[in-house]
Amino acid sequence: MKLILVGVLAGLLAATAAKADEMVFTSWGGTTQEAQTKSWAEPFTASSGIKVLQDGPTDYGKLKAMVDAKNVTWDVVDVEMDFAIKAAKDGLLEPIDFAAVPKGGLDPRFSNEHAVGSFYYSFVLAWNKGAVSGEPTSWADMFDTKKFPGKRTFYKWSAPGVIEIALLADGVPADKLYPLDLDRAFKKLDTIKSDIVWWGGGAESQQLIASGEAAFGQLWNGRVFALEKDGADVGVSWNQNLTAADVLVVPKGAKNKDGAMKFLAAATSPTGQAKFAEASGYAPINTKAKAEMPADVVKGLPDAHVDGQINLDMNYWAEHRDEIATRWYAWQTK
Amino acid sequence: MQGTPLRRGSMAGSGGALPALTLVGLFFVVPVVALLLRSVTDPEPGLQNYAALFGSGTYVRVFLNTFLVAAVVTAVTIVVAFPVAWMLAIMPPALGSIVFGIIILSMWTNLLTRTYAWMVLLQRTGVINRTLMGLGIIHEPLPLINNLAGVTIGMVYIMLPFMILPLIGALRAIDPMTLRAAALCGASPFQAFGRILLPLSLPGIAAGGLMVFVMSLGYFVTPALLGGTSNMMLAEMIAQTVQSLLNWGLGSAAAFVLLIVTMALYALQLRMVGARRLAGGL
Repeated sequence: MKLILVGVLAGLLAATAAKADEMVFTSWGGTTQEAQTKSWAEPFTASSGIKVLQDGPTDYGKLKAMVDAKNVTWDVVDVEMDFAIKAAKDGLLEPIDFAAVPKGGLDPRFSNEHAVGSFYYSFVLAWNKGAVSGEPTSWADMFDTKKFPGKRTFYKWSAPGVIEIALLADGVPADKLYPLDLDRAFKKLDTIKSDIVWWGGGAESQQLIASGEAAFGQLWNGRVFALEKDGADVGVSWNQNLTAADVLVVPKGAKNKDGAMKFLAAATSPTGQAKFAEASGYAPINTKAKAEMPADVVKGLPDAHVDGQINLDMNYWAEHRDEIATRWYAWQTK
Repeated sequence: MQGTPLRRGSMAGSGGALPALTLVGLFFVVPVVALLLRSVTDPEPGLQNYAALFGSGTYVRVFLNTFLVAAVVTAVTIVVAFPVAWMLAIMPPALGSIVFGIIILSMWTNLLTRTYAWMVLLQRTGVINRTLMGLGIIHEPLPLINNLAGVTIGMVYIMLPFMILPLIGALRAIDPMTLRAAALCGASPFQAFGRILLPLSLPGIAAGGLMVFVMSLGYFVTPALLGGTSNMMLAEMIAQTVQSLLNWGLGSAAAFVLLIVTMALYALQLRMVGARRLAGGL
């Protein structure tokens, strides 16, 4: 069967064989990928002469199928960190060539042998000021439907975040979150299940909050940043903000590996990271980037809110991804 | 229709169909076989994917829910489509084709656009709820979205043309004199409908109903946007299994089971209605 797949794909893709002066970057689309194109790809093409073709959205199933079929059309892919750890273990990724990618300023939390940081972000508590009276200040408030009535929106898929939020709201101290007590988390989530509206993508989360369709939500900080920039009347609490990261990886068998490594060097450079942070509201993964950024931008980044900040444990998630997902969908579809 | 002398099943002169058969083979048979193989070889040979599928309460629940949603959508579509098809069947042809054009027009609008339009209408802060609350008819927004009601409304809207089309065919084929005869013999309009119109239009209902039901089983966008997680349908679950869990084997197994069930339903219907009547209804 794989032979058939390979044959068909090879035939279809023969016309698009990679050239040394071209590479493909894949990310999640929307405002994030636009910022990546402007801050990384365009300056990189200008300085190196390597054309960067944009593709997307990131699809882990597709990535695996490409590697399995040995016909990889993506050279650099923006993925979530827990996926990168798992994918490296499954042999889906090329090791990073740190001779070509300077390791100097890279935050060690977000880089490893097979991935370098793309950006890091926080889940924050955001709300529509018109739909909420008072100010929620902790995740526990999202579970208090008496004090704060209305629909609340959470990330739909099994991923780091919601489980931790439920446990924090139930009184688990931040340093005792892992290993995750799933029974306790789902029991807590049961108490507000009928008040939850799920969001499946960033744009949906913005639409739900901006329209007041959901009064509160767990949002990516960059999406709240974009709402504020558009003048939406939203409030945000950084208390107990939960950090996670996107990383850049090179799929095993990528056609332009050299070009990919050069691109990674440019994307993770202090300048590339500073420009992207300014455009997106997400935090740089290069510690030297802040020196190149305007002070008011630095103020709005997750690393200006380290008080009460909690790091989601990507290694724990990478190890228990499937097991948690099975429980998650069983609970969600009930 | 039953007396048609033309044998539709005849294979005579099918040599010219070779290019078409190749196309069907390459783009329909090969992928299905590949899917089946994947479900019994990935990650290792065996039936473990099917064991996992039927052993998982989640998948079984999503399966049942998928069939429930498809059944509800089909039933509502039939009820809504019937009067429309009847009106179109008895209208003057010129006017009928204009009205039918309006219905068809909706099919040419992007599916995602139509679904988003329904979101704007149905949500708690949407047009319908705001209007009803503004008029003082309701005080709390009606739950029209992220539940079975939302999925049903959105999907019935999309499916209507597929039901109306075969129904018009069936209704036009009914001799109007039979209805007049029924009236002359003293049948009430209700009796005429139940004893004459409905039975005679059954082939059209069956053809349209089957098409709507089968299409509904595989729907993705509309249930994902208008439904809630407690009525998640199979397509969304498969997408999640493949995209996030990278479990192509399990995803393929689920897709294959859905395919088998669909084909079984189709076979059952062929037997009940008869292939020729079904084709005639279309």
